[in-house]
Amino acid sequence: MEKDLFEIYQPSQLQSPSLIVAWQTHDVGKLSSTIIHFLNEKLGGQKIAEIKPSGFFPLGGAAFKNNLILVPQSNFWACQKSNLLIFNSEEPKYEWYKFLNAVLDFAEHYCQAKELYTISGRPALTAHTTPRRILAVYNQPEFQRILQDYELEDMTWEGPPAISSYLLWAAGRRDIPGVSLWPEIPFYLAAGEDPSATKLTLSFLDRRFSLGLDLGQLDLEIRNQYEKIAQLRRADAEIDRYINRLESGLTLNEEEQVRVAREVYELLEKRG
Amino acid sequence: MGVNLFKQPKLENPELICGWPGIGNIGLIAVDTLKGLVMADEFGEIEPWDFFYPNKVSIKDGLLKELEFPTNKFYYQRLKRRDLLFFIGEKQPTEGERMYAAGEKAYQMANLVLDVAERFGCHRVYTSGACVSPIHHTMKPRVVSVASSEELTSEVIRYPNTILIGEMGGRESEGVITGLNGLLLAVAKNRGLESICLMGEIPDWLSASPFPYPKAAKSVLEVFGDIVGIGLDLSVLDQMTAQIEGIIEKIYEGFPSEIKERYDQRKFAAQARPAGITEQDAKWIKEHINGFFKKGGKQGGKGSV
Repeated sequence: MEKDLFEIYQPSQLQSPSLIVAWQTHDVGKLSSTIIHFLNEKLGGQKIAEIKPSGFFPLGGAAFKNNLILVPQSNFWACQKSNLLIFNSEEPKYEWYKFLNAVLDFAEHYCQAKELYTISGRPALTAHTTPRRILAVYNQPEFQRILQDYELEDMTWEGPPAISSYLLWAAGRRDIPGVSLWPEIPFYLAAGEDPSATKLTLSFLDRRFSLGLDLGQLDLEIRNQYEKIAQLRRADAEIDRYINRLESGLTLNEEEQVRVAREVYELLEKRG
Repeated sequence: MGVNLFKQPKLENPELICGWPGIGNIGLIAVDTLKGLVMADEFGEIEPWDFFYPNKVSIKDGLLKELEFPTNKFYYQRLKRRDLLFFIGEKQPTEGERMYAAGEKAYQMANLVLDVAERFGCHRVYTSGACVSPIHHTMKPRVVSVASSEELTSEVIRYPNTILIGEMGGRESEGVITGLNGLLLAVAKNRGLESICLMGEIPDWLSASPFPYPKAAKSVLEVFGDIVGIGLDLSVLDQMTAQIEGIIEKIYEGFPSEIKERYDQRKFAAQARPAGITEQDAKWIKEHINGFFKKGGKQGGKGSV
């Protein structure tokens, strides 16, 4: 393990933990950040280390968003009681392979992590009222068999790889079993939040790791979101028609998708 | 950061010929075609993950089957007159958004390639690329060369249809060969190896086009045939050349008649002198060229997994 890459704040007390990785970049439906925040808050996550940004992120200045300076963060959190190691980061801009191996080096050599879970939302051409699915990709058939009773759906796909797939592949080369979880998020909730997908993903983690999470707050958020969109549908017949079509399993053309996405975003994110 | 060699061929003073993508993919097409014509065998690769983000992931029934990276492979062949090593890179390692190699990664790759070449006793390195030139598209492209020493330049000018870059009219006596096709030569020269760049001419107005320019690759291949001392059947490039010529002719037909008239003077001007079109003509072509190359349809925007 190349120690210069890390800033270590406290020793890990974890015993062969499971590693959960979430990326803040391209965070569809803010799923990854919501889940990591939820887990750290409910399970008492302690920041134990970080990967230093030098060499991985552009450091020629500071980015800002909504009047706030942004600093690239690549943090490891330990949830002692649940024996979970959480890694939350922006996607690096350079040296992906070195960065991903640094994540795995820390997890494997410093914490003896036994398995990997990555979490990323995936936009889907579905309605918010459609039950969510979690699509899954494994790096070992044995691990796929172990998780077969968790109602994950096998994905088949070919195309440009996301960083989660790259990490899963790198873990596979080390014989670390892993799964990438891709909860589906209705495309018109992708720019905002999707409490239904968040709840489903947390339910999976709750069951898998016996976390004893109280997800009642998310039920409230789901009801609230349903009600707001229902109001929008009552006020705008065209939006109602488009969502009806999605509910019937039909698709929308690009222009229609943009209209629904814009209206729902305006409703949920801007008007609150 | 590693090199995997699957075989250890016995070679005598091999010469290394390298190709990477670039303008019109002239160098890559020339080197790849030569490698095929001499039936060179693959014997190694540079591990790609330190240099490139993967291109493609294949997932089937929930299992990650494969992650594909741009390839960087070594080949060899023993010919009657000399032994050859080839290195072909599908992509140039870049830092940031650049198209051509630059920075530490490019330097590392150049050194890895030369480490392997020197291990087999290589003493000379060739790269190939494009030379943007004010020629007419119907003219046979010449091969423009740069070498690592005065002695080599006197050898290079004996190659068929080849000139030194300093003989190009309207050129400064100094310039830069962009990307790894240039950097590799500099690193090779530093190591005391002979190095030569053979660049096929491409008409200036086609240098930003998205398609290859096999006619120039053919000119470069003729020179390589002369160097390695074998007759090469270059008809393999004829079909691609005819197809591209057809596209270029269609674009050319779309030129306004007065620009076409001035541009056509290039056919009669001595090669390598910027002739025939005015700055305004060049501006017009530049402004309209993207329209010519525009394809129908939209990007899929499927995202990644």
